[in-house]
Amino acid sequence: MPLGAVAPGSDPYAAAAARTVRGIMEYARWPQRRDPLVLCVAGPVRHAGQIANWRMADGRQVQRRNVAANVAGLAGCDVVYLGQLTVPVQRQLTAAVRGKAVLTIAEADPDNSSEAMFTLTYRPNALSFRLNIDAVSRSGMKVDPRVLRVATGGG
Amino acid sequence: MAPTPPSKLPTLRDLLARAHLRLILFTVILAAASLMLSGVMVIRSYAQRNLELTARNVAYTVEPAVVFQDRQAIREGMTSVGVSTGVHQIEVVDPAGHSLAHWDRTHEGPAWLLDAANSVIWPEPARADVRQGGTLIARVEVYGNSGGILRYMLAALLIALTCVGLTVVATRILARRLQNEVIAPLDHVAQVAHAVRQERAFEKRVPASGIAEIDRFGQDFNALLAELQGWHAGLTSENAELQRRATHDGLTGLGNRVLFEQVLADAVAHSQRSGTPFALIYLDVDRFKQVNDEYGHSSGDAALIAVGERLRGAIRHIDAAFRLGGDEFAVVLAPFFNRAHVDGVVHRIRKAMELPYRMPNGQLATASLSVGVAVFPEDGGNAEEMLSHADSAMYRDKRSRQEQDPQGA
Repeated sequence: MPLGAVAPGSDPYAAAAARTVRGIMEYARWPQRRDPLVLCVAGPVRHAGQIANWRMADGRQVQRRNVAANVAGLAGCDVVYLGQLTVPVQRQLTAAVRGKAVLTIAEADPDNSSEAMFTLTYRPNALSFRLNIDAVSRSGMKVDPRVLRVATGGG
Repeated sequence: MAPTPPSKLPTLRDLLARAHLRLILFTVILAAASLMLSGVMVIRSYAQRNLELTARNVAYTVEPAVVFQDRQAIREGMTSVGVSTGVHQIEVVDPAGHSLAHWDRTHEGPAWLLDAANSVIWPEPARADVRQGGTLIARVEVYGNSGGILRYMLAALLIALTCVGLTVVATRILARRLQNEVIAPLDHVAQVAHAVRQERAFEKRVPASGIAEIDRFGQDFNALLAELQGWHAGLTSENAELQRRATHDGLTGLGNRVLFEQVLADAVAHSQRSGTPFALIYLDVDRFKQVNDEYGHSSGDAALIAVGERLRGAIRHIDAAFRLGGDEFAVVLAPFFNRAHVDGVVHRIRKAMELPYRMPNGQLATASLSVGVAVFPEDGGNAEEMLSHADSAMYRDKRSRQEQDPQGA
């Protein structure tokens, strides 16, 4: 996803990250319809500045909630956005929601070891994401396979 | 040889061949055109459905890529499911009309032709909307490729041309068969008619042909020929009879005066050319008038017949005897070599006359002749001189015989 025009001094990836998270959520299916959807942002973040409350294409509400980066903080989350956390912490959090209908997106996981379902990847002028099929299949979620086509490698 | 008709007139064979050619060409072209048209329509309707399916397929495939605004993914998704031989161009545009991805077939063959055919066959692209939750996020346009249809049309055209070529050959063969089966019998009739007219070959007949109409025509023609032959034969024999009557004496069967003058003139001309002499003998029956008066005309006729028979018997075949009228006879002797021969003939004639003949009343009688001879060219240089010389010689002979025997024979 190209970054587009960015105001000087602000985070160049913020807008693209928000669009990507939104797109991923559009193609994720929860076993039961949830409305509103709770998007939890865990830990300190660098690119989640433009992730706010919005409405999905089918009309569901999305609520952003900033939570502590521990297992207790994830209660009630439908989506977990993992911020700038160490790999063990990320693994701890993804393990906590494994098997449940919770979508996990990692912001900072260059080595692909967080076991989050989606990982944002950064190129100089574009933002993309990887899809971890193992993690998707171990979760209680369904993801539209067409998303695979948009994801870059690493699956 | 049959007369060649004027070149402006078409022959029956030409007419038949032309009619066949037109008919078959019309049929082949009609069949080829309707097949081609219906084929193109069927192919086009399938291709149209294919384009619509392709558009929907592309729309479904590129939907996430549009959501993520990943142009490369849009392009990859579009080409992976959209490119096929029937597709010429694919376009994905956003709702504002800006192109998100575009694919275009590289042209094979003449581009102008394909473009022209595409714009005729596919004036409008197949369209499909890309929607997310009811919101229009992009539109897919798929333009058809007319290459397949053009190839089909080309193949159909080639097949049609081949059929036309075969048709021309078949027409020629057909025309030749017609020539043999229909025109040849007609030609036979024409040849026979011509031979009859030119050579009077009335015995010719038209042979039977294998076609009922022509056969009937030939039979009628033959019947007509048979009648003509009969009429012709009758006319010929009648003419011959008339000719004979005109030049012969009915009573004795000898040549008459007309024929005599002809033969005499011919003999004079022939002797003048060849230099050989010929002789003319004049004969007159003595006391013929007395016989007529005494015993009747039938007895006179009997005397004349007897004289004629004996004259004919006394001369050679190449000599000719004539009855000039009444009791006058003449003989033209063909070229001879000396006068003694003439005297011999005269002697033979007198000898022959001594044989008695039987009159109608049963009495026997003999006829005696007065004879005058003229020899060409000594006694006359032309027919008239010969005649008068022979005539006067005969009267001299008659007078001398009357003086010897006043009572007569």
